[in-house]
Amino acid sequence: MKLTGLRALVVVITVMALFSLVGMGYTVAELEDIAANELIPEISAAAGIALADSYADTMTEAELEALAVNGRTIGLRTASADALAIQYRAKTEDEIMAILKGTADPMIRAAAIEPALIYLISTTSDAEDFSLTDYLKDIAINGETHEMRLAAAKAYYFMMRASLKAADLEAQAVISDSAELAYAAGEVLAGFYLSFNPKTQAELEDLALSGESEGMRVAGGIALATLLVNSDLKAGDIEVSIVSITGTKSAEYRGAYITALAVRYGS
Amino acid sequence: MKKLVLIVASLLVVFSACAVALAQGYETMPEDALIIPLGVEATPYDFLEPGVRGGTMYISTITDAKKWNHTTSKETSTSLYTSQMMAGLTDQNPVNGAIEPELAKSWDISDDGLVITFHLRRGIKWSDGTPFTADDVVFTFNDLIYNEDVDTSSRDNIQLPDDTFPVVEKVDDYTVKVTLSMTFRPILTQIGVGIMPKHKLAQYVHKLNPDVPVGTFNEAWGLDTDPAELCGLGPFIVESYEPDQHVVMRRNPYYYRYDANGTQLPYVDKYVILTVASQDVSLLKFRNGELDVFGCRPSDVPILKVEEVAKDFTVMVAKDKPVLGTAWISVNQDVGLADGTRENLRNLFRNRKFRMALSHAMDKQTMINNLVNGLAVPQWSPVSLMSPFYAGRDYYGGPITETNAVIFEYDLDKAASLLDEIGIIDRNGDGWRDFEDGTTVEMEFNTNVGNTVREGAILIIADDLKKIGLKAVANPIDFNTLVTKLLSADYDFVYLGLTGGTEPNSGGNVYRPCGTLHAWHYSACEEPYEVEKRIDELLDAGVATLDNDEAFEAYKEYQITLAREDLGLLYTFNNAYTYVYYNHVGNAQVAGPLGSPSSYYGLTWDLVFKKG
Repeated sequence: MKLTGLRALVVVITVMALFSLVGMGYTVAELEDIAANELIPEISAAAGIALADSYADTMTEAELEALAVNGRTIGLRTASADALAIQYRAKTEDEIMAILKGTADPMIRAAAIEPALIYLISTTSDAEDFSLTDYLKDIAINGETHEMRLAAAKAYYFMMRASLKAADLEAQAVISDSAELAYAAGEVLAGFYLSFNPKTQAELEDLALSGESEGMRVAGGIALATLLVNSDLKAGDIEVSIVSITGTKSAEYRGAYITALAVRYGS
Repeated sequence: MKKLVLIVASLLVVFSACAVALAQGYETMPEDALIIPLGVEATPYDFLEPGVRGGTMYISTITDAKKWNHTTSKETSTSLYTSQMMAGLTDQNPVNGAIEPELAKSWDISDDGLVITFHLRRGIKWSDGTPFTADDVVFTFNDLIYNEDVDTSSRDNIQLPDDTFPVVEKVDDYTVKVTLSMTFRPILTQIGVGIMPKHKLAQYVHKLNPDVPVGTFNEAWGLDTDPAELCGLGPFIVESYEPDQHVVMRRNPYYYRYDANGTQLPYVDKYVILTVASQDVSLLKFRNGELDVFGCRPSDVPILKVEEVAKDFTVMVAKDKPVLGTAWISVNQDVGLADGTRENLRNLFRNRKFRMALSHAMDKQTMINNLVNGLAVPQWSPVSLMSPFYAGRDYYGGPITETNAVIFEYDLDKAASLLDEIGIIDRNGDGWRDFEDGTTVEMEFNTNVGNTVREGAILIIADDLKKIGLKAVANPIDFNTLVTKLLSADYDFVYLGLTGGTEPNSGGNVYRPCGTLHAWHYSACEEPYEVEKRIDELLDAGVATLDNDEAFEAYKEYQITLAREDLGLLYTFNNAYTYVYYNHVGNAQVAGPLGSPSSYYGLTWDLVFKKG
């Protein structure tokens, strides 16, 4: 078929528009398509992270809770859980704690972790010997659920951050009183690797892949994600990398690429 | 009929346009609008950009305001808001600290420096549309600040060294004459107090309205005042207030500042200031995206760095603009003087070469690296690096040269040589240096317990002193006890800090021989060293001229003399300024430690904007 001048112009404009669209990032519909249909779970999850703001704005809490539990793919479940975390910021302390300590699906409990931090660090007591950090550490060890313990562990290290050095955190990310404390130590340690005690990308890759504990892998993975986002890698490049590491044992290493791809997708 | 409809419709359009114009304040730029040259080369604002109008900024504070009255406000929790509502004749440039015209467009100074004539901007209006004139200036000084019935701290701030007050007189509607009893250059800073609206507030002043009891003004513009009653000349006016929740401030439709493109400032329509329980809650809210900017602390930096890229914000760590103030070791040159004891130690502390040795033994970089994660700069001068009078910068008079540098580098060999030179040597082979009579040189080193940075600093210094054979016993003590010891000259070494500003003369109570905080050598008031007399003269010279270049020369010599000759206080380091802002906030990089009426923790409210 021979193109007339007018039809050729339409084609050119359409192609230009498509390129413009790619340059501007991904639409919600495109992200939903990836989150719902992508077979590689890491790519689906990255799209889910990028979708969260939109879902928080457009879906009800009940819809999100249902989708976080029963979503067909990890991408849809991630989008819903992250959106719930945003909506849960409006909940009271009692409501948030009830979710964290309750029997809801772990995806829903996980959504309550970040909103709980403000309440946990604001906890007060009339007891003379009350120490907030001791209180938080106790919950981080003995809390009813993994999510409760993790929220308390994050709050504990948040409050302790000024008095800890990288070496302290490295020790506590390996050996700690609970897995959640070690995990949270790793999160703060990542910040040191990005500021006061910088590591190279190769060192972080190695740490995220084969750090000696989950906490150390968390530190490496989170810091690595920042370097990946700061790199020249395009979304397509990161997708290719993800395809090659999708079977990798380290969730923290894969997590770094998921985070980086989510940022490229426009989270 | 059709014509009539058209006329009515046209009139409606005209009325609507007028309504819009009124709602937005001036119909055209006022005659003497203040132009802020954002993005204009060769100006202090060249690193900023013209913004766009609209949007709401969210920030936080941890304490509610106590009132909306700027003149009687005494706490930053109140002035956070009132300083946005008001403006002064002069203001401090938020970038370089220079004093610049604000409500005054210019001023003339008489040859003897005793009369300053301020020419006010014409065409400027209060936020309610009332014209601003010299009557408001005279009212503010004569009826409020100088009025003993008014409870204001501004009165002390504007008092001259000879205890008199500048005489403020109206010449005409746009001219005010200020007469001083003595030349005092900082007057241009101190005259910049917030000007208050006479048409709104004169009714509450007993001397102007005998119908109201004495002291009524102190209760005026309390928190229960209808916000519609409030007005000001600053960029924002309080619109609503919910105790323990938030304050909403709306833009002043008659604000007199414009950018170089002719866009009226402020750019942002509203500020919402959330009241939160703590700085930590603010940090979490910032991370959640609920705040646009946050005055973070160095300890927040690692946590923020983790999310900086993914959440698209910027963690500013500005070593080129350290916070104001000083951190220092005071070596008590009057130790034992009161009861005639410890003469050996006193003579040693009074020996300049001993203090030089101490200076060479201070490893400032290790302190910075180990104690504040590298987020600080070494300090050698009492004048803040952000001051236009800092001897190391080129705002007035040019920078000091490398050969003028007065930093004692960390060098334990030099420190040891200096001690050898003055006869402080190890005489019995026990590793500790001794006096000539064989007794060991030993001193106690105090700071306030609980301040982990200071505790760490004295441990690092004591450890280095040990390496050169000096026994300094680190002993952190209760803060109040420490201050009592300092002020009664009952100590050996003390590590502490002082807050500061940009005007070197504000340190007069510390560095003058008779200063109340001349705590390393109180006896100097009766028997000053020659160098202390010179410092006194230089501080006088710094204020006795209204020429900033001349003042700079005096202050430059003052700083170098203090650091190289006097060595009264031995400085350590200044923390870097830290700040964090989402990248959708335009011009947020202007944030810095130069607090002024136009800033919030360094953020200049009227210059920032929300990017599309």
